[in-house]
Amino acid sequence: MTVNEFIERIREILELEDAQLNIETNLRDLQEFDSLAVLSIIALVDEKFGKQIPATQFATITTIRSLIEKIGWEHFE
Amino acid sequence: MGSKIKQIEVFLPEHVLSNEQLEREFPEWNAQKIEQKTGIKERHVASEDETALDLGLRAAKKLLDNYDKKKVDLLLFCTQSPDYYLPTSACILQDRLDLRTDIGAFDFNLGCSGFIYGLAIAKSFIEAKIASSVLLITSETYTKYIHPKDKSNRTIFGDGAAATIIEKSEEECILEFALGTDGSGYANLIVPNGGLRSRYDPNAPEFDDGSGSIRTKNNLYMNGPEIFNFTIKSVPIVVNQCLQKNSLKLDEIDYVIFHQANKYMIDYLRKKIKIPEEKFYMNMIYTGNTVSSTIPIALKDSIDKGVIKEGNYVLLVGYGVGYSWGATIIKI
Repeated sequence: MTVNEFIERIREILELEDAQLNIETNLRDLQEFDSLAVLSIIALVDEKFGKQIPATQFATITTIRSLIEKIGWEHFE
Repeated sequence: MGSKIKQIEVFLPEHVLSNEQLEREFPEWNAQKIEQKTGIKERHVASEDETALDLGLRAAKKLLDNYDKKKVDLLLFCTQSPDYYLPTSACILQDRLDLRTDIGAFDFNLGCSGFIYGLAIAKSFIEAKIASSVLLITSETYTKYIHPKDKSNRTIFGDGAAATIIEKSEEECILEFALGTDGSGYANLIVPNGGLRSRYDPNAPEFDDGSGSIRTKNNLYMNGPEIFNFTIKSVPIVVNQCLQKNSLKLDEIDYVIFHQANKYMIDYLRKKIKIPEEKFYMNMIYTGNTVSSTIPIALKDSIDKGVIKEGNYVLLVGYGVGYSWGATIIKI
């Protein structure tokens, strides 16, 4: 999966059709980033990368970049 | 010789908390969205003077309208909201139900895995010839632990009880079990105060736990993401273990009932384990998460609707608070 494809999947999860979403977007600033969005992102990371991010680490995620760093850049094309 | 589930009855308390009511209390919540995202429209809430024991009593009475109470020789009561630290609530139930006095009765403290463990206990007592007709009551009132301003947990959990009869039978209809426990996750679904480790604190301060929900340490706390991580790791494993122990493959199973925790989570698990939609129960629209009663409620619902029939093999999987989990296969 490429970084852009990943960002697109996050856009779908957050149901943000038109908004500008990029690697520096701070997820915590988004109203749509609710408890269900968190579960959906956990599921996405499990499905695409086979990884489970512990909740304590998830709590420190801010931007999409920080999420990608938690997953590991090596997992992206 | 074996054991078999003979009958199930359900009791939900009268008062209903609807999504519309939640929307009024939490203006940023939208009733439509709640239903769409959680699969829940309503949840039942026990009244101030109605305890899990009362709900369990009502479910059992419904069941005993159509079953000879004199046959019951073991009463199991699964709850995490007992009437007292002591005596055992099951003893009180024996008396209130006017069951025989030459029988066993005890409580066991489990949540989402409770029904599975109840079946294991029933099967064991029957196999050991200690009992022949087991009344298993699962009953929960988590709403009494939830803070009024905790919108997430108020949305998800509902109160309710189920009463199930497991009887000795010619054919083995409760097959092999796979169980699991991981206490390292104990703090992720907990009521911190009120027990003996940390007493109830009438002055406990309110705080926002970071998700916009308010509670105190006297209230239920659930770390959703951490629980989700646990289930996506453990549930596929226990399903495989259970199938292996029973020398069955998933496509030989007629129907699958998971503990109805929340729609999103179980739908994700269904896809991950590759269970076809038509074989998978998903319904918490009028009940919410009733903890140890979700599986018997789902079973009764499926049988009543004719979705599962005599002779069907049904895989049951409970998982959650503890962490505690378990799976078994039953024959209807």
